[in-house]
Amino acid sequence: MNAPSPALVAPRPERLRLVGQRRQLLAVMHQRLMFGMLVYAGIVAIIALRILYLAAFGDHAGRKTGLTALIPERGDIVDRNGDPLARTIDAWTIAVHPTKVIGDKLALAQQLARLMPEQSEEQYFALLKSGKPFFYLRRRASPALVEAVNALGEPGLAIEREPDRLYPQTTLAAHVLGYTDIDGHGVAGMERAFDKYLSDPATRADPLTLSIDSRVQQALEHELLDAMTKFSAIGAAGVVMDVHTGEVLAMTSLPEINPNIPGAASPDARFNRATQGVYELGSTFKPFTVAMAMDSGTIKSFGQQYNCPNVLPAYGHLVHDTHPFGRICTVAEIMEESSNIGTAQIADQLGTERQKYWLGKMGFLGPVPIELKERGRALTPGSRWGPFETMTVGFGQGIAVAPLQLAMGYATLFNGGVYHPPTLLKISATHPLTKGKRVFSEDTSYRMRALLRLVVMKGTGRKADAPGYRVGGKTGTAQKIIDGRYSQSINITSFAGVFPMDDPRYVIVAMLDAPKATKDTYGFTTAGWNVAPVVSGTISRIAPMLGVQPDRNREPDMSQVLPFVHDTKE
Amino acid sequence: MSSRSFRSVFMVASCAGAALGCYLVSLRVASERASLEDVETQIVLAQRDMRLLQTEIGTRGRLSQLERWNAGAFALSAPTADQFLKGGFELARLAQPERKVDFQAPVVLAAAPAPARQMPIGEPETEDSGVAASVAPNALLHEASLKIETREVPARSVVALPQTTAKSTDNPALAAKPVPLKSVAKPGLAAAQSSIKKLQKSTAAATAKKPPEKMVDKPAAVAAKPVTKPIRIAKIDPLAPLPAKHSGHSKDSTAAR
Repeated sequence: MNAPSPALVAPRPERLRLVGQRRQLLAVMHQRLMFGMLVYAGIVAIIALRILYLAAFGDHAGRKTGLTALIPERGDIVDRNGDPLARTIDAWTIAVHPTKVIGDKLALAQQLARLMPEQSEEQYFALLKSGKPFFYLRRRASPALVEAVNALGEPGLAIEREPDRLYPQTTLAAHVLGYTDIDGHGVAGMERAFDKYLSDPATRADPLTLSIDSRVQQALEHELLDAMTKFSAIGAAGVVMDVHTGEVLAMTSLPEINPNIPGAASPDARFNRATQGVYELGSTFKPFTVAMAMDSGTIKSFGQQYNCPNVLPAYGHLVHDTHPFGRICTVAEIMEESSNIGTAQIADQLGTERQKYWLGKMGFLGPVPIELKERGRALTPGSRWGPFETMTVGFGQGIAVAPLQLAMGYATLFNGGVYHPPTLLKISATHPLTKGKRVFSEDTSYRMRALLRLVVMKGTGRKADAPGYRVGGKTGTAQKIIDGRYSQSINITSFAGVFPMDDPRYVIVAMLDAPKATKDTYGFTTAGWNVAPVVSGTISRIAPMLGVQPDRNREPDMSQVLPFVHDTKE
Repeated sequence: MSSRSFRSVFMVASCAGAALGCYLVSLRVASERASLEDVETQIVLAQRDMRLLQTEIGTRGRLSQLERWNAGAFALSAPTADQFLKGGFELARLAQPERKVDFQAPVVLAAAPAPARQMPIGEPETEDSGVAASVAPNALLHEASLKIETREVPARSVVALPQTTAKSTDNPALAAKPVPLKSVAKPGLAAAQSSIKKLQKSTAAATAKKPPEKMVDKPAAVAAKPVTKPIRIAKIDPLAPLPAKHSGHSKDSTAAR
């Protein structure tokens, strides 16, 4: 600054000392000022640079984040054609904060009871007086109700939007889809099995594509429900499956549940009869026994003969038939009339070891192979599996499997003999078809076609025929086990069918639990009377959708079996 | 001097201008980006709305609901195997007109030619001139082809003989009288069935004149064949289906054979 000019007169020593002190003081001041200025300039520079940076690269104030893509709170579940089966939507929720209510609580309770009559005025009033911080009054409220509640103008009422799981098709495929708990986590069905996939933000943008075809599912459910009501059955199950890939096109278990309100369903309804329940499915097992015998070489032709007396004594037991032959009969006839006695002899020839081997290969001895967590495990004679048990297993008694397993077995038998594990996910690029494993020879698979077609053309399954669709299949009527004993009057009836039989593409299994006789069935409760029409009705509905061309002039090669059938009826 | 002294000012001004320009560019970019984001947000919101609406439509028109409507109102059922066609040919076959025996129309026509044929030959003074003109070629055609054959097969077939002879020479004079009477009666009645019966009865009564009427009803081809192969035709049946397609008169003729 103003540097002191050189003194002309020697100053007084005290003054000199003063000048020296001032200079020092000034220097310190300069330093401090400089430091302050630098700090100030630095701050200004930082702010300026930040502003410049933000201007060049930064976000602007009005930017809305998180809306650049539509990612639902929980992934959708769609059917194989892309139709939504489960979706998460924003639903209105009406709640109340009792502590924040400022108006007259009694008047408010009256108005709430008028708008939402599920609770009485007293209950609402007690709730408002309770002093608790928060109550849900209504979840998934309709917009009209929300408007009416909003018009009450009470600040203590909270109206919010919350993600909510909705099943647009209501009861359709409910046991496959399952349902979620109130926090949006799957607790049953595919919701449970794929909970991680559906809730993970990385994957939930892509819907989970099931192999279910909702139209096929609807047809199957409707026909089964009709039959269940008609015959007053306590339950029913059905499966439609693609023979070549193992994709489950439809799977149902009745009584149905509505996954939108899962709490309303009884435990019995929540039970999945198609995968969890294992049943002795009776005569539907017989084709497996014949196929095993053919592959082992014990049956060379459908003309092979067995002695079929009215009652067959075997290993200290008696085997009975509902329609005994009382004569020598061929394999074709045994299957046509569903003879236990004939099949028992075939199974006896086959032997226990070979039977176990084949059943194991077909996946009948373990748990049901499916993605669902609700799955049962086949019941077998286990350690008691002796020669007589081999006979009974041969005609489907003493072994209990799930209907889905039965469908899987028929798929294996008729797709050329290759086992593919059943799946509920659509076969696509993300879920490719695994290489199957061979169970039966192609020749056996081919020859069995005619045998099962015969059952529907002339045998016990005539009512299952859908004209033009070449249905083949087998009925099964098993006595239900009640308290450990076979009931004489209550049955489980099932039908396993394959169509079109000249080139099998789909298998359908239907089962009724304890159907009652009606006037139409002339007092019978056997499968040919109650389940077979379900199969016929379902196939004639679904086959055109599945691209199966009806043709009355096409049949499988029936020359394999027809010469060996002694027709007494015509 | 002035430029030198203002140099620094210019420098500052140009720097400021450049900085301002840069800032304006970035501001412009930012505003463009903001508007783009607005559009994107609108798209997402629209998608969300669509999703909601689709869900609502899907829920209202769920399959079980459609099934209920169908059971209650539409009563549609699955197509049967017969309702499927294999290709264009089967479809074309459906469009083929169905041949029906209409008892009203053809009988009037069948009755008309009978009088007309004789008119030009026997009685020139008839009321219907138009009808007469149409029949004339028919009569001519039969005459030309059949004459020779009659002589070759004299006693073989009873039917063939009189037919052919009918037009030649014998009939005109004889047939002329009964036919005009019928022709007058028919238009007045205009009832197809009864007229046929009457005609048949009348022709049966006049045995000699019956053959010529049959000849007219028959198609030319049927009449022509016996000419070329006289003996064989009488034995072989295959001709039977042909006359069966036509009306009652032709049936009479096959029976006669």
